[in-house]
Amino acid sequence: MIFQKTKGVHIDGCKGMCKIRPMQEYLDPEFVYIHLLQGNSSLKPVVEVGETVKVGQTIALREGFAPMNIHSSISGSVTAIKKVWHSSGKMVEAFEIKNDFKNTLDPAIKPNKNVDSLTRDELVNMMKDSGLSGLGGAGFPTYFKYLTKENIDTIIINAVECEPYLTCDYYFLLKYPKKLIKGLKYMIRAAGAKKGVIVYKNYNTKIKEALSELLPSDGSITLFEVKDVYPAGWEKYIIERVTGKTYKFLPSEVGVIENNSTTAIVYSDVVEHNIPLIVRPISITGEGITEPNTFLVPIGTKVSELVEKCGGYVEGLDTKNANYIAGGPMTGRAIFIDDLIVNDTLGAVIVKPIVDGPRPECMGCGKCADVCPAHLTPTEIRNAFEAKDTDLIRLLNVRKCVQCGLCSYICPSHVEITDYVIKAKELLRKAAK
Amino acid sequence: MARFSGGKAPFLRISDTKGHGTNVLMRDFIIGLLPVILFAWYKNGILVYSQGNINFFEMLYPLFFIIVGGLGSVLMEAIFFLVIDKEIKTPKQLMEKLSTSYAAIPGLILALMLPVYTPIWVLLFGCFIANIVGKSLFGGFGHNIWNPALLGYAVIKVTLMGVINAAGSYLNVSEVLVDSYAGATPLAMLAKNIISYDALVTPYGGLWNLFAGFHPGGLGETSFLVMIISYIWLSARKVIRWQTPLLFVSVFFGLSWVVGALNGVTDIWFPLYSIFTGGIMFGAVFMITEPVTTPRNPLGKTIFILFLAVLTILFRYVGNLPEGFGTAIILMNIFALPIDKFSAIIKANRWDKVAYKYIAIIFGILIVLGLYAVLKAGNSYNLFIPLIQIGGAF
Repeated sequence: MIFQKTKGVHIDGCKGMCKIRPMQEYLDPEFVYIHLLQGNSSLKPVVEVGETVKVGQTIALREGFAPMNIHSSISGSVTAIKKVWHSSGKMVEAFEIKNDFKNTLDPAIKPNKNVDSLTRDELVNMMKDSGLSGLGGAGFPTYFKYLTKENIDTIIINAVECEPYLTCDYYFLLKYPKKLIKGLKYMIRAAGAKKGVIVYKNYNTKIKEALSELLPSDGSITLFEVKDVYPAGWEKYIIERVTGKTYKFLPSEVGVIENNSTTAIVYSDVVEHNIPLIVRPISITGEGITEPNTFLVPIGTKVSELVEKCGGYVEGLDTKNANYIAGGPMTGRAIFIDDLIVNDTLGAVIVKPIVDGPRPECMGCGKCADVCPAHLTPTEIRNAFEAKDTDLIRLLNVRKCVQCGLCSYICPSHVEITDYVIKAKELLRKAAK
Repeated sequence: MARFSGGKAPFLRISDTKGHGTNVLMRDFIIGLLPVILFAWYKNGILVYSQGNINFFEMLYPLFFIIVGGLGSVLMEAIFFLVIDKEIKTPKQLMEKLSTSYAAIPGLILALMLPVYTPIWVLLFGCFIANIVGKSLFGGFGHNIWNPALLGYAVIKVTLMGVINAAGSYLNVSEVLVDSYAGATPLAMLAKNIISYDALVTPYGGLWNLFAGFHPGGLGETSFLVMIISYIWLSARKVIRWQTPLLFVSVFFGLSWVVGALNGVTDIWFPLYSIFTGGIMFGAVFMITEPVTTPRNPLGKTIFILFLAVLTILFRYVGNLPEGFGTAIILMNIFALPIDKFSAIIKANRWDKVAYKYIAIIFGILIVLGLYAVLKAGNSYNLFIPLIQIGGAF
């Protein structure tokens, strides 16, 4: 009880909706919109309106903390800088690029001949130049993890995809299993590590089948199963299971770097062909979509075009009484207008009718404290927030919250308890200033 | 382009799926009470009828009594809402309000704790204390400090016990005829006697009778056996945490054994007798698992239970109070809030430096209280005499 590990909760995955159809490619949209925002920092544009761009050409730079390059995902001409919706729920300036359907590649994109002789620094620099960021949803610049001074022993590839509804990582992995193994090998070299572990959920037998033949014979890459619980895809959960060690702030403390499987696949292209991050898989799913589907799309595609390819919304969907969710259903964000653009962190768009039900008071059953993977007590944090008691909030260690949403999920009284914890976090941040 | 509704993550809620909301929990809780209600009816109605001591309508009386308890509680809250809440105008609004305040439960539990021939007006008075004073005045469901049913029971016990004694005390019509009961519940016997099997268990026909619940006591709180059925149901439906009653009963069992051993009774019958009497299992299943008045997080619940076990020992064996467990719960309900806060801090910091202060406070009090209770109950201060002598030598 005292030093228990995170248990997690089994949640019905609802992944069947997408899994009945194979992944489709939708690589030639007429317009793409590249957001001038990566993570939390806005980007500096390096091309102007009217200029012609090629596939993979650098069009913007991220400066300041963790600088990197952002690329055009199609060839064509920059027609405008417009404000469009971003998955963070804000309107953000973006390049509008009109496709010329010629698909001319940037001269930098060519097969890399001396792959085997690349040094560690060169491998890390490639990550930086290609604009590779965590494609699982965090959007943290990947190369930054590899700049650590700690001794890295293991690279863990996260193919768990514990969020319900999402199938993008699953399909992308099944489509390119060889690239995943290659990408992992390059990552091991880039970190100077010794071994790699690929983690997946126990019911995904197809992943096991696809990968077990490809594993190198020297045993440097192994597979690892985790249970079908949420949040099994959380870094800390995985590292606790795989290595048996726990860390305080960063995985590198215990000699581990963790990357998403999609990131590894894209990275193998980065190393071998110099193709930067320009495409990503995305699931369009939910009860409000006629034929849920997974797509492979250039970054910057309009989601509404993808929804149209899915047959649109189901008939009679009352959009005023439905959610349009950017990201997974547990951690995603409700967008008010269905005018979203695919960005690097967007793994899914879910359209889901709202279920009405009784909303009784919190009775204090303590289920939220039972399931919290960070060992917090959300009800106490809520009380402390309502009393605006920042000292108590700090003592309750609210920074540990990863906003997984389990406390709200498990609440029998439908209390927005996750939201209270997030607000308490913000209050603490303001008080610290 | 279509406008969509807003909302807060997560967008999946267990309360949206069928069979997981608070309503369902409360429904399951009442179903969990059913075995107890049926047992109470059997013991105080059907069994007495089959022995030919009462007529058919009197047989139905225990059931009637319990239903009046439930309905009385609903009535009290309905009146309260009508008087206080100006927004309620139609009967439908009143029903909605009542359906999310789960009014019937305190009354049902209260009825199960009272002796069978308690006058109805005393029961209704108890419902008034439970639902109005204990619950609604604190702000309604989810805001009360004390367990409403237990508060009602305590007030009756202090003020109106004379009325109940005049009406027949804890014995039903059949039990009056048994000489050895001498007008007392098993624990009242403990308060009078030294610990011996002949004085405590033999009058009630052996441990099996105590376990099955055929001994004088409140209407439905006597049977350990039936409570196990309720416990399994409630745990399986996840209405209560299965650890809570189990931990309490085993800790209390262990402490009782120590107390017995210090008094020279090392046999297992004494701790068994301790957990079979005084509504220990009834309280363990239905009261210390009550969500509103106990701490929220698992560590807090554990600490709460340890304190309860120690206090029950203290009140029962040192204070000679037959209602030791109920008193301990009422006392600990007050401390549920600080325990919750402290344990949340301890747990969030994972027993780290920041939490040392809180760990010291809580476990310090617990250990001192526990040592005092057990040693005092065991009359074992002489264990300390050598220590004092050593201290005196310096």
